[in-house]
Amino acid sequence: MSDTGKGDIRSALSNPGGWKSLIVFSVLALAWLAGFSSRLFAVIRFESIIHEFDPWFNYRATHHMVEHGFYNFLNWFDERAWYPLGRIVGGTVYPGLMITSGAIHEVLHSLNIPVHIRDICVFLAPVFSGLTALSTYFLTKELWNPGAGLFAACFIAIVPGYISRSVAGSYDNEGIAIFALMFTYYLWIKAVKTGSVYWACLTALSYFYMVSAWGGYVFIINLIPLHIFALLLMGRYSQRIYVAYSTFFILGLVCSMQIPFVGFQPIRTSEHMASAGVFLLLQAYCFLTYVQGFMTKSEFRQFFVFAIAAATSVGFVGIIGLTYMGYIAPWSGRFYSLWDTGYAKIHIPIIASVSEHQPTTWVSFFFDLHILICVFPAGLWFVIKDINDERVFIFLYAISAVYFAGVMVRLMLTLTPVVCVLAAIAFSKTFDIYLKDETKKPTAEEIEEKEKNDKYYDKVGKAKKPSSEEGEKEEGLGMNVKSIVVVAILMMLMLFAVHCTWVTSNAYSSPSIVLASYGQDGARNILDDFREAYYWLRQNTHEKARVMSWWDYGYQIAGMANRTTLVDNNTWNNSHIALVGKAMSSNESAAYEIMRSLDVDYVLVIFGGVIGYSGDDINKFLWMVRIAEGEHPKDIKESDYFTPQGEFRVDSAGSKTLLNCLMYKLSYYRFGELQLDFRAPPGFDRTRNVEIGNKNFDLHHLEEAYTTEHWLVRIYKVRDLENRQRSLDVSSKPIKRSSSKKVGRRKKGVIKHKPSVVKGKRNKSKKQTSTKKTK
Amino acid sequence: MEWNMKKSVIHLDGGKFRTYVKSAPRNYSMIVMLTALHSQRQCSVCRQANDEFMMVANSWRFSQQYSNKLFFAMVDYDEGPDVFSALKINSAPVFMHFPAKGKPKKGDTMDIHRVGFAAEQISKFIAERTDVQVRVFRPPNYSGTLALFLLFLLIGGLLYLKRNSLEFLYNKTSWGIAALSIVFAMTSGQMWNHIRSPPFMHKHPNTGEVHYIHGSSQGQFIVESYIVVFLNAAVVCGMILLNEANRSSGDPSKKRIMAMCGLACVAFFFSLLLSVFKAKYQGYPYSFLLK
Repeated sequence: MSDTGKGDIRSALSNPGGWKSLIVFSVLALAWLAGFSSRLFAVIRFESIIHEFDPWFNYRATHHMVEHGFYNFLNWFDERAWYPLGRIVGGTVYPGLMITSGAIHEVLHSLNIPVHIRDICVFLAPVFSGLTALSTYFLTKELWNPGAGLFAACFIAIVPGYISRSVAGSYDNEGIAIFALMFTYYLWIKAVKTGSVYWACLTALSYFYMVSAWGGYVFIINLIPLHIFALLLMGRYSQRIYVAYSTFFILGLVCSMQIPFVGFQPIRTSEHMASAGVFLLLQAYCFLTYVQGFMTKSEFRQFFVFAIAAATSVGFVGIIGLTYMGYIAPWSGRFYSLWDTGYAKIHIPIIASVSEHQPTTWVSFFFDLHILICVFPAGLWFVIKDINDERVFIFLYAISAVYFAGVMVRLMLTLTPVVCVLAAIAFSKTFDIYLKDETKKPTAEEIEEKEKNDKYYDKVGKAKKPSSEEGEKEEGLGMNVKSIVVVAILMMLMLFAVHCTWVTSNAYSSPSIVLASYGQDGARNILDDFREAYYWLRQNTHEKARVMSWWDYGYQIAGMANRTTLVDNNTWNNSHIALVGKAMSSNESAAYEIMRSLDVDYVLVIFGGVIGYSGDDINKFLWMVRIAEGEHPKDIKESDYFTPQGEFRVDSAGSKTLLNCLMYKLSYYRFGELQLDFRAPPGFDRTRNVEIGNKNFDLHHLEEAYTTEHWLVRIYKVRDLENRQRSLDVSSKPIKRSSSKKVGRRKKGVIKHKPSVVKGKRNKSKKQTSTKKTK
Repeated sequence: MEWNMKKSVIHLDGGKFRTYVKSAPRNYSMIVMLTALHSQRQCSVCRQANDEFMMVANSWRFSQQYSNKLFFAMVDYDEGPDVFSALKINSAPVFMHFPAKGKPKKGDTMDIHRVGFAAEQISKFIAERTDVQVRVFRPPNYSGTLALFLLFLLIGGLLYLKRNSLEFLYNKTSWGIAALSIVFAMTSGQMWNHIRSPPFMHKHPNTGEVHYIHGSSQGQFIVESYIVVFLNAAVVCGMILLNEANRSSGDPSKKRIMAMCGLACVAFFFSLLLSVFKAKYQGYPYSFLLK
């Protein structure tokens, strides 16, 4: 396409190479643009804000780094988190995300473009999705052909499985990590193909970036050795893979150990041992092929068998021995739960509690990948039928990723790229046949035009297609059949594009800190309670005040309210979380002691009973009890919170322990006076659709400090010790005081807001805590 | 209580029960299983419960903090029917805890309908009632390992027998079929079935109507995932057929039929899948060919 600018347009037009690159370039640019703009729903509907939970921490860390410099960031000890323990942030994060956006900020500012760091953070993931599309194109091009590459790039740009983690505002590790993943794989394929040290070094560098960005790098460091191992088994050993793997392994190992959070893990944990083992095996194999030159065939045969057996057993025994002696850590619980699927449920409730760690139904596969999930096995089939060194890799990638995605919903993210690649191969192969014009026209062009048409499904694309075909009867399928096939498949692809847009707009574009509800007339009602409460905390509490809440909200409180929290989404200390869970599930006076010992000033609970928000603390409450029970089995017993029939209910039939625990009281304090609807009794909980069981109670050790407009967030202040000790049994007696004097102080106004069902949380599991955690 | 040294569970009849369990001043707690093990009673649940109970009792018997604080006992209905009538129990098995002081309260009967009678649950129940932690030591289950070993042996044997013609290892079709079966199993949510163990299908209790498809997008039935496997496989077959149409040599009309069949497969089964999805996912607006 650079030729076109040179002047002689006619020769450029007739030069197919120029046309080809122009089309490739424009398709990729359009894919980038489409991918970017379809991720902007949340920004357009709401505003340019950071979403959800973890992104708030990443944003806060980035902000800290931009303000105080990189080295101060690495040494950052955050005393605002995990009070009174604190958290060494520099050594416990993957810094790649912060460094990336910090670098972009730096470059823009040196060019005198004053962009706030928040905007960079918000738009980072959409921009990187374009880069992912590019690297997917290159990967597929190496594996199959450029036409398939263009298909793959377009698929990955708009596929919901990837959009779910990379909408604007979801500023999380995965956003850049998928790019790093695909780029590393591309470079690896290149290294295997060429066998050059240059490409292998680049692979290691890209791998280094991946390690700095996401814990999922373990996938790479196990998949690449697996590839080598499979190639050895298949007898496809060559000098090229020896050079590529040896270079990559050593450089990658050294590089990955530079990340403070990773440290010595690559040589000390079982997750990394496969790579070392394959490295040794490769050396042994290489040595054997060298020895082969000096021996007769039968001699070598015996020697070979003996050597392989000896090497394997020595390696195996060595690793087991080192593990046993404690030099190598065994598999960590999170990875172990991928193999033994029942493990987490029994042993690690905090992992099992996260909704993203649930197994995947076929519906979510279809929801996230639509037609690609049906077609990609065909691509896999073609790849197997026509296998070579690098296609072994994509085969292994597909099989392992599909297994992991089946075990855990969140690993759908690693499956998505390979599905795009393989489905692209299937489609491209089909179009290669059915678009082939027997009048000797370059076919690649057509495919790429298809490509663009399937992006602009509503435009001219369809009408143009059959016109370029001509009836050719002899040998071949005939034009009619061909055009029917092409049109039908194009229609399905259009449906795919429509589906992607719909899913993105409906399911994946909710910032979750700003909720929207729709009235009967379709008018939109923004519920901004979270930010209201956090801003209240920021403005009205002491700077050093300590806020207790369930761990889901730790990052948000730290990020938006700038106050000290006890526990947060970095769930590294289970016993501390269990202590908070115990406080929440004990009765008020027992909780008061825990809160005094933890220096708590404010308690924050999320309550959805007024507007029918299902992700509130009462619905998560059983997990608090379970986690607390794991550490304090004597004080907290899960069965106490159930009715004798084994039901968890908050109405008058509920268990007494539940109706008197702190979480219940804080959620429903004075809720019994509120009548939301004329048809419902006062104190009617819309989320659980029951009238609450314990209405008239008073708080002794806490007082209500603030409740937001829709009661979504309630903040209580912990009282100081009293000057004069009250008789202690007051708190345990049921309170019979009349509540009439308190009626109507405020909050009457809530009634006039038409409460309604909140959209956007639909596909999450209702009863589980709906937050995510980085690996 | 000496005979507890020999056996981990004490067999009681009516008289012994009164002596050791009902007698007031005691310095030990009793966990008693009331059951009916005689074969003419035909209580298969009792047998399973008995195995689990024995496991807990043995774990306690051979554990390090074994002491005289806790004893396990059992009463068979045929040996002490008076115990059952005294406790007003008319079902078996029942697990009861008799505390050292006072009478058993409501919570001292284990709710096996809710929690089941797995050994872990019994030990949890004991820990709740008596503050004694019994770490259940299950005799390791060798059947899985054995099955795996046998499988390897079988494969190894087959390979050894067929060592002269190992081409089937290089046969791409068999590898392809194996790979596709893994993919189909996973994408249809077999792993979900394995972990959540849903019912095979749902039969409406009143109307007798059979549902093959779970109504919500959060769940699925086993038969439903088989249907999805079939639909996915049909689409893939159609896709492959479309591509094979060009390769096969033969007269053009045959090729054309092949291509149209492939296309029909892809289009029809995909739209079927889409309509199943639409039925499950409320509010999904799109469909293709079929409603």
